[in-house]
Amino acid sequence: MSLAWIVFVKELLDALRDRRTLLVVVLSSVAVGPVMLVALSALVAGMEQRAESRELHAVGMEFAPTLRNYIERQGYAIKVAPADHEQQLVSRRFGDPVVVVPKDFERDLAEAVAPVVEVISSSANTRAQGSLGRIVGLLQGFNREQAALRLAYRGVAPALLQPLKLEERDLADPRSRAAQLTSMLPFFVLMAVLYGALHAAMDTTAGERERGSLEPLLMNPVPRSALVLGKWGAVACVGMLVAVLSCFSFLPAQWLLRSETLAAMFHFGLLEAAQFLALLLPLAAALSAVLMAVAIRCKTFKEAQASSTIVILAISLLPLVTVFNQDGERPWHLWVPALAQITLMGRVLKGETMAATDLLPPLLVAALLTALCVAYVARQLRRAAVR
Amino acid sequence: MIEVKDLAKRFSRGRGAKAQVVPAVQGLSFTASDGVITGLLGPNGAGKTTTLRMIAALIEPDAGQIHVDGIDVARDPGRALARMGVLSDARGLYPRLTARENIVYYGRLQGMQADAASARAEQLAEMLELKPLLDRRTDGFSQGERMKTALARALVHDPSHIILDEPTNGLDVLSTRSLREALRHLRDDQRKCIVFSTHIMQEVERLCDQVVVVSHGRTVAEGSVEQLLERTGLTDFEACFVQLAFGEATP
Repeated sequence: MSLAWIVFVKELLDALRDRRTLLVVVLSSVAVGPVMLVALSALVAGMEQRAESRELHAVGMEFAPTLRNYIERQGYAIKVAPADHEQQLVSRRFGDPVVVVPKDFERDLAEAVAPVVEVISSSANTRAQGSLGRIVGLLQGFNREQAALRLAYRGVAPALLQPLKLEERDLADPRSRAAQLTSMLPFFVLMAVLYGALHAAMDTTAGERERGSLEPLLMNPVPRSALVLGKWGAVACVGMLVAVLSCFSFLPAQWLLRSETLAAMFHFGLLEAAQFLALLLPLAAALSAVLMAVAIRCKTFKEAQASSTIVILAISLLPLVTVFNQDGERPWHLWVPALAQITLMGRVLKGETMAATDLLPPLLVAALLTALCVAYVARQLRRAAVR
Repeated sequence: MIEVKDLAKRFSRGRGAKAQVVPAVQGLSFTASDGVITGLLGPNGAGKTTTLRMIAALIEPDAGQIHVDGIDVARDPGRALARMGVLSDARGLYPRLTARENIVYYGRLQGMQADAASARAEQLAEMLELKPLLDRRTDGFSQGERMKTALARALVHDPSHIILDEPTNGLDVLSTRSLREALRHLRDDQRKCIVFSTHIMQEVERLCDQVVVVSHGRTVAEGSVEQLLERTGLTDFEACFVQLAFGEATP
């Protein structure tokens, strides 16, 4: 064990001396949280602003004083749409739907010939499409008011037209609503951990082969298991360091939130950070072992980089299972590395409690994977040294 | 003392139907005594490196035995390795560690305390004229400086047996000379058992007390330079070596 410790200390020192690589890895992992949150908050703040703006862009509103009166009573400001609004909507330079009122609006309305009011938008223009529902709803309100007035004029109770009362109830609490937006965060944390361990894993295996330092290393009276355990410990440590940094970078990142709604919905405190770490630390250990097992077969760093692409690809594709699979969460998801962590981190962000039984499958899988890969590296070590 | 008896090793190249079995070492024997410098002399591909790797327990032999001070390397590689300092064909250093850290790391792996290993590194640096470089990272070292660091690393635990695979490869005249001096010093003052492989005649003539001529994985002759010259009846050692190594193959 003390021999493994000596190897561990040396490998860790070696990895920490690689300042440039370490700096890039650490900076990118620490930056992930703040950058993602700030980008999200800017997005949400923009959406909120648009929702609160209560503006309506129209052409020909001067022909419809009744409609104008209704809209202004709802607290909306009417703005004249630019002449080339259609072009601007198509090219996405204009982000609001445009209401076009016909010339004979008032006359048609008085004669009960339904005037055609156009709402112009483009379904390829997401900004305009976002406020389309609001504008259509507003115009429907005018419809309802006019209908109610006409019925009342003829002595009919407007309630007759509403045999049914509709009421919407949204069960999502603010945090689970926010989780829709923040669902990418676990993925970025996961990738940060993977990239954190990647370089160290390759350096202690393929790098050692390329330098020609593995052969002399094996000529010391040290059991191969001790060598591999020490190396794996150091790589896992670097991966875990990145995990800790990227999790805790969310804490100060919350202060940067521009959107008050998101700030209220996205709650990431020490407890959430601890739960993230409980998921990520075992994964960092397992990923380190997997990357080492892949890289020990490679003679050079370059070859190892090519081979490790498979691991990176697998880790980045596994979480997509939830996207492709519309059946929702399945019990087996918790037995797949990376997918399990993404799923459970998502739950943490939604504010759901994580049961110890949920934590067990990913932990078991990580332990098994680590043991298998470490044993494999130990077996391959001598063959790798002389080939 | 290192005793190698009837050593054999075959490698298979390729896979499936194309697989070829290449004999690397076939029936190689020699004895290297304490206080003697033994040279394994042979052409490229004669099996020298494979033999040294088997002595260092890196490859398992197909047949034959290796004993280091009576310890069977196959059975107890750990104990055997503790008595050996091996400068192998691959002598990579850790570029981000200093020369001292490189040397101390191996000392620690050999079971030494950090202080003792560091003191020993200084002592070896003195002997190998490495002192001014000791606390510099090995990143920018020249070939000779690297080789000296690797040698110091192999000798850190003061092994009674020193095994060197073509140690003068890439060294300039002065470095070669100082290495020869160091080896003589280790033989005469500390009675070490030194085995080194080479294909350079000059080195053998100047340094070796005993020569083992290896060809096609076999021992073809064994003895001092004088004995070998006498046996072939030649005066030039190079001609003597060519006759011994290739004579039987190309009459």
